Amino acid sequence: MGMMATFRSIVKRLRGILKPLVISRYLTTKPMTLRFPEESLESVQGYRGRHLLEPEKCIGCGICVSVCPNNAIELVEFMGQRYPQIHLGKCCFCALCAEYCPRNALKMTRLATISIFDRPSAVYGPEELSKLL
Amino acid sequence: MKSNPEKEETFVPFHLPFGPQHPASGHFYGSVKVDGEEVVELEPYPGYLHRGLEKLMEYRTHIQNSVLVDRICVLEPFSNEMGYVNVVEKIAGIEAPERAQSIRTIMAELGRILSHITWIAIVSLALGLDSGARIALGDREGILRLNEVATGGRIYPCYFIPGGVRRDLPEGFEEKTLEELDYLKSQLNLYDSLIFRNETFVTRMSGVGIFNAKEAIALGATGPNLRGCGVESDVRKDEPYAAYPRVNFRVMTMKEGDAYSRVLCRRGEIAESISILRQLLQDTPKGKFRIKMTTRTPKGNAYFCCEAARGELCFHMVSDGTDKPYRVKVRGPSFSHTLSEFPYLARGAQIADIPAIYWSLDPCPPDMDR
Repeated sequence: MGMMATFRSIVKRLRGILKPLVISRYLTTKPMTLRFPEESLESVQGYRGRHLLEPEKCIGCGICVSVCPNNAIELVEFMGQRYPQIHLGKCCFCALCAEYCPRNALKMTRLATISIFDRPSAVYGPEELSKLL
Repeated sequence: MKSNPEKEETFVPFHLPFGPQHPASGHFYGSVKVDGEEVVELEPYPGYLHRGLEKLMEYRTHIQNSVLVDRICVLEPFSNEMGYVNVVEKIAGIEAPERAQSIRTIMAELGRILSHITWIAIVSLALGLDSGARIALGDREGILRLNEVATGGRIYPCYFIPGGVRRDLPEGFEEKTLEELDYLKSQLNLYDSLIFRNETFVTRMSGVGIFNAKEAIALGATGPNLRGCGVESDVRKDEPYAAYPRVNFRVMTMKEGDAYSRVLCRRGEIAESISILRQLLQDTPKGKFRIKMTTRTPKGNAYFCCEAARGELCFHMVSDGTDKPYRVKVRGPSFSHTLSEFPYLARGAQIADIPAIYWSLDPCPPDMDR
C-alpha cells in the first residue's frame, strides 16, 4: 500500500513536470508578434485614428469644442472663417467631436501612427487636419 | 502571531518595500515589516495613481463622463461604462433599448474575459512562469481586436453612452466572436497544464492567504475573492441588470478560501463567460441601439451596482438638475482588496508568498486610487 502511494505520487509529480511541455507546440507556429516598422497590424474599418477635416463642409459652429472632454479643440481663424484646431497631445481619440458634428465635417481616419518630436507640432491646425499625411 | 518574549527584546523590525517598482506590485507600495522571513505587518500606501476622477467628473457633462470612466480601471473599461451609463439612465428615468442592453452585456462579458486573461498573464509572471504570461498576453490580442472592430478603440472603447451604445455591432461580429471564443476555450486547457495545474504554481498557491467567509465579508471582499470562500454572491444573479436576466449561468464558488481557490474561481469564470457570450450572440434582439436622451438630468440621486471582473463596482450619483453631476462616488472593487484584505492575509505569511497572495486577490491600482 505504501509502495503504491509513493508510486502514485511520483507519477503525479512527473506528470506535473512533463505537462507544461505542451508549450513546445509553439516552436512550430507563427510568432504572435510583428516586426513593426516593416509590417504592422492592419487597422479595421471604423477605427478611431487621426481626425480629418473637410473645410468646405465645416460651418464653424463649435459643437466639437463644447463636446470635447479634454478641451483639446479650439476654433481659429483661417481663410476668413472659423475652423477647429486640435491639440493631438490632449486628444483622447474618443471621437465625440466627429459623432456630434452636424455636417460630418470632422471624421476619424484609420491613421494610427502619429509620432512627433516636440510638443508644439502636436497642434494640428485646419490646414494640417484637412490633409491626410 | 506567535510571541517570543526573548525575541521581543532584541527584535528590530526591518522594513521591506513591496513596490511601487516591484515587477509584481503594479503601482502600489506596501511597506512590509518582517521578522526573518515572516511578515509581521504590511502597511499599504495607496495614491501612486490618484487622478481625482470623482472630482474631474463634476466638471464634465454626462456624455463626456462616459469617456472618462474608462480610466477608472484600465483593464476592464466596459464594466466601468456599464455602471456609469446605468446610473445616469436611472436618474433620467429612461431605459436603453433591448438591443443596446444585449450589446452592452456582450461587451461587458468580453471585458471580463479580457481582464481575467490579463490577470493570468500577470499572476504567472509574478510566480516566475514566464511562458504562460507571454501566451496569455498574445491571446489577449484576439479580444482587443474584437474591441477594435466593434468600437473603434482597443484599450479605451468609449462605447456605452447614456441611452444606448454609440454604434451598432458591425456585420460579421458575431461569427468573429464565436470563432475567438472557440479558440479561447481550447486555450483554457493549455493554461491548465501550463499554469493552473503546474506543480510549482499549485504548491505556491495552496494554503496561503486563507480567510473564511465571515472574515471576507467583514473585510469588504466582493467578486471572485468572496466566491473563493464559498459565498454565492454575484450582482449579475442577485440584482440582474442589462441582459443578464435572459441568460443561464452558474456562479463559480470554491470552499477553501485560500489563494488557489480564488485562482480556480477566476479560471472557472472565463469558461462561464464564454457560455454566457454564446447564449447572447445566438439571439441578439433586433431594433434600435440608441435612444435620444436630454443632456440635463432631473434633480435627485441614484445608485447602481454592477459586477465587474474584480467584484462589485458601484456608482452613487447626485444630480442638481444640470447637465453635469453634482457629485459621483465610485466604489471600486480593488479598494478593499488592496487596503483591507491584502494586509490581513499577508500577516504571518512568508516574504515569498506576498506576490502569490497579492495576485490571487487581483487588485487593480488605477481602480484603487482613482
